[in-house]
Amino acid sequence: MSRAYIDDVSAERLALLQEQNLELSRLVAELRNEAALRTQFLSNISHDLRTPLTAIITHGEILRDGILGELTLRQKDSVGGIIGGGRQLLDMIGEILTYARGAAHQLTLTRTEFSIASAVEQVCTLNESLVAKKKLDLTVNIEEGLPPLYADRDKIAHILGNLLGNAIDFTLPGGRVWITCSRGAPTERGHVLLIEVGDTGIGIAPEHHDLVFREFAQVDASASRQHHGTGLGLAIARKFVELHDGRLWVESSRGKGSRFFFTIPVRSAP
Amino acid sequence: MLPHILLVEDNALVIDALTMLLEETGHRVSAATTLAQAQRVMSEESPDVVLLDLTLGGEDGLSLMPSVNATRGTRPIVVALTGHDDPETHARCIAAGCRTVLVKPIAAMKLKGQLAEWLGERAAF
Repeated sequence: MSRAYIDDVSAERLALLQEQNLELSRLVAELRNEAALRTQFLSNISHDLRTPLTAIITHGEILRDGILGELTLRQKDSVGGIIGGGRQLLDMIGEILTYARGAAHQLTLTRTEFSIASAVEQVCTLNESLVAKKKLDLTVNIEEGLPPLYADRDKIAHILGNLLGNAIDFTLPGGRVWITCSRGAPTERGHVLLIEVGDTGIGIAPEHHDLVFREFAQVDASASRQHHGTGLGLAIARKFVELHDGRLWVESSRGKGSRFFFTIPVRSAP
Repeated sequence: MLPHILLVEDNALVIDALTMLLEETGHRVSAATTLAQAQRVMSEESPDVVLLDLTLGGEDGLSLMPSVNATRGTRPIVVALTGHDDPETHARCIAAGCRTVLVKPIAAMKLKGQLAEWLGERAAF
């Protein structure tokens, strides 16, 4: 085989590779553009849906709070239902928007120093009425002397809120729900906090453990009718945990309750 | 005289709801749907508080802030209203001179309480 022939083939292959590289770069740019457009679209839709909901909820609160005159208890309950439905819809719109930002890699962390106990307390307070309504036994156990977290407080509270919300939704009245925070086994990157949100609810069959973390997935259609989520809660929780370089997983079997665990590396504030 | 609130908001449904809430809780309300209207009310009537929606059609609500900051006499308290609950929006509003940021829908009794607090501080000046 002559040298000139080899040079010709090499040049031809190089040109082909360069052409393929260009095509790949073009495709990557196109995909990025599409993801950005999709996020912008979801962001606009979210704003447009929130606006009329704002009017509905504000009018409801004017009535419920007696600003136009006292209502009977039954009337208050009815208006409370309108407000509750509206707020639930707002939360769902918020989840869709958060998911879209995560999918477009637009989520960032705003780190501050705080104790995990304060975030747990905040989330428990928010869920107090739901826990009481279902007559659940909610217990919190926080190991003494845990170091503070240097993390995104809102996102940690969001993770806890999604996990606790699921635990409450999928546990029958009279059941138990718990949150435990302790030191986890250190990883090669250092110390971690281990947080568990557990329940004595309906549980998840092992073959469905991966499915529950997928977007828009709910294992049981009849459960999803009772459960008020978008099917994004656990996908978002996992995204938020991973943004902190932590890990989220579940241990559960059908009818035996569920135990969700996540780790958050302990970092010191700069 | 009733405290005067300027509501800068481009959605008629939200204007109706907030106007009803504010009027029924003892305030006088002017509504503006554009920045130009808002600037006119500010120069003619010196409102005590401006509730400022951040997205007004194609306009950025915060573009009103230079005129607010240039007010002669007592500057109105400006509170941003937004549907976007993110740290970037919050930081942008505070940097522009807003007193705080409220995420819509604002709880009726909370808004009533906060207005009383801000108006009290303003009266103490």
